[in-house]
Amino acid sequence: MATTSTTVDPHHSAQHPHKTQAALLVSLPSLTQDAARDLLTHLAEAFAAKSVMVATPDADVALLETPSLRVVAYTPAVPSPGSWSLTATDFLTVHELAQQHQASSMLLLGPEAQSLTAQALHGLAEAVQGTAGSNGCDLATARYSLQARSGLVNSAILYPLSRALFGAAARFPLAIDLGLSTRLAARLAAAAQRFTAANQHEALLWPVSEAAVAGFTITQVEAGVRLLPQPTVHDLNGILAHVTGSFFSDIDAKAAFWQRSRVAQPARLADPLAVSGMHTRDEVQPMLEAFRNAYGNLSEIWSLVLPPQSLLGLKRLSVLSAETFIMPDSLWARIVYDFLLAYRLRTINRGHLLGALTPLYLAWVASHILQTSSGRDPEQHIEALAAAFETDKPYLVSRWRWPDRFNP
Amino acid sequence: MQIALQPDQYPAPPAYPENLSMWHQMSDALHQSVLRVASLLISILPGLLAFILALGILTAIGVLLSYLLRRGLTAAKFDDRMARKQSTGISDWSPDHSPTALAGRFTFWGCVVLGLIIGISAFDASYANNSELTMSLLPFLTRTVGAVLLLFAGNLIARFLARTVLIGAVNTQLQYARFLSMGVKWLVLVLTAAMVLDHLQIGGTIVELAFGILFGGIVLTLSLAVGLGSRELVTRSLERTAERPERRPFAVNQSPTEPSESALRHF
Repeated sequence: MATTSTTVDPHHSAQHPHKTQAALLVSLPSLTQDAARDLLTHLAEAFAAKSVMVATPDADVALLETPSLRVVAYTPAVPSPGSWSLTATDFLTVHELAQQHQASSMLLLGPEAQSLTAQALHGLAEAVQGTAGSNGCDLATARYSLQARSGLVNSAILYPLSRALFGAAARFPLAIDLGLSTRLAARLAAAAQRFTAANQHEALLWPVSEAAVAGFTITQVEAGVRLLPQPTVHDLNGILAHVTGSFFSDIDAKAAFWQRSRVAQPARLADPLAVSGMHTRDEVQPMLEAFRNAYGNLSEIWSLVLPPQSLLGLKRLSVLSAETFIMPDSLWARIVYDFLLAYRLRTINRGHLLGALTPLYLAWVASHILQTSSGRDPEQHIEALAAAFETDKPYLVSRWRWPDRFNP
Repeated sequence: MQIALQPDQYPAPPAYPENLSMWHQMSDALHQSVLRVASLLISILPGLLAFILALGILTAIGVLLSYLLRRGLTAAKFDDRMARKQSTGISDWSPDHSPTALAGRFTFWGCVVLGLIIGISAFDASYANNSELTMSLLPFLTRTVGAVLLLFAGNLIARFLARTVLIGAVNTQLQYARFLSMGVKWLVLVLTAAMVLDHLQIGGTIVELAFGILFGGIVLTLSLAVGLGSRELVTRSLERTAERPERRPFAVNQSPTEPSESALRHF
């Protein structure tokens, strides 16, 4: 499978070096000593009576005393880029480790994993391992409890698109804590190797769509409150283009799958954390100004991508005040679909296209914040948005197949 | 002192024969000119024919090769293989998501360009002895091809850079984004025009002078406009930078049970 190999360091294989097999392999990110100690405590609590092997890239972490866990240090074939999300390198490494230790299921944890509770860790592992009465699933994604102002790219683009196209109601398609079965890990490693072979170690993978295409079972586990690491790059334009470009590309590659009709799994509404509205106006005003400025300057570029109906909707939005500024869910769904189509058709340069999406995304964020601050439940808004994406899916399929058809 | 007239010194010819001779001379001159032009045109024809033949044959070969290549690649499921290796980035260059179509078009246009080169070489070879034509027409023809390519590339680059600057400036919330974009576009276009004229060897130093003045003028205008327009912005930005505390990319020490409520997090 993989051309690169990850080596386990025997000097740093602690406590139980004679055991080579484990039912569950937990792959840790690179952590500080304190963070690693916290995480190992949570892991020991979660898997008190189970055969668990913990793999860490930090040699000093393997030396920590953990009575009920087997901790092994490994040297990754390719150093992890230390990204804020899981990358192709992480998927490749966990698959190699699972093969070496003959693990039947894996837990892949992202940066800041020490903030996960023992219950969340246990839930993720149990979902892929199964219980006495049921088989485990292939992919378990974490469902985090976030503030209404957090995970906005996920709420605006990734979740609704993923649910509408792949029929997978995983609330966080870009979750950084995953439970994986062996066969899904192998499939993801194969996908990851295409990127690593091209020296794209920081490329993002989309486990939910990969599992959906393969017909594997997906479930999500309540993970509660978790610290989500933010990208080190502060340029929203660049990181948004990176994430949406990767997702659009993945959707493009799997077009044959999602064009068939799919029914999404029923979504559960999570309890949102309390929303504070005291800074709403100050937060929203710069976004609205950015949108209005963009409307004055980028209309020409948007007109190459969007149909007249959407342009009319944006024109109406551009003259609304902050008090009445609400972007309709149907308009945002149509905008995202049209950008996806333009990405596929290469209507304009892809870098330009994704750059032109940023002000529209900011307008959606402003609208979302204003709605939630006025009392609307954020999760309900996002579910309504996802439903709008599902309703408008025939438009995407139609234009994907016949791009030159008349489009009012 | 009187000078005696000497009528025999400049004998005047009779009127009619003189007109007849002049007409003959003009007619001869015109005839010779027509002959020269005709012979020139006739001497051009073989070279022209060679040029057209070379272009036509290579174009036909290009069509055939392109067709065969497309058939072969389609049979080998080349598109599917490339789609599986999409991370290589080659698909970004392929039209309509089809690397097969890209290869076909590349082959066809490669043959056309080869035909052009061979045709021009044949044209040149057939006029190796005719120094006047070779000296004037042929270099100009080749320079014109180069100039057209320069113009095309310059236009593409100007449009690309203008859009890049426009989107970048809008996303950094600059109010004069369109002005900046137009400035960049015209800078590149003026540069292209100057290069084209220089390549065609038209205008000589006038073009260089005019280009220098125009280019400098645009840069100065942009500098003044941006500098004066964003003076307060730069001041505020510098003040913010000086006053801003050191920021950490990750909230490492933040308690998971007390996430910041006011922070806007896109991820």
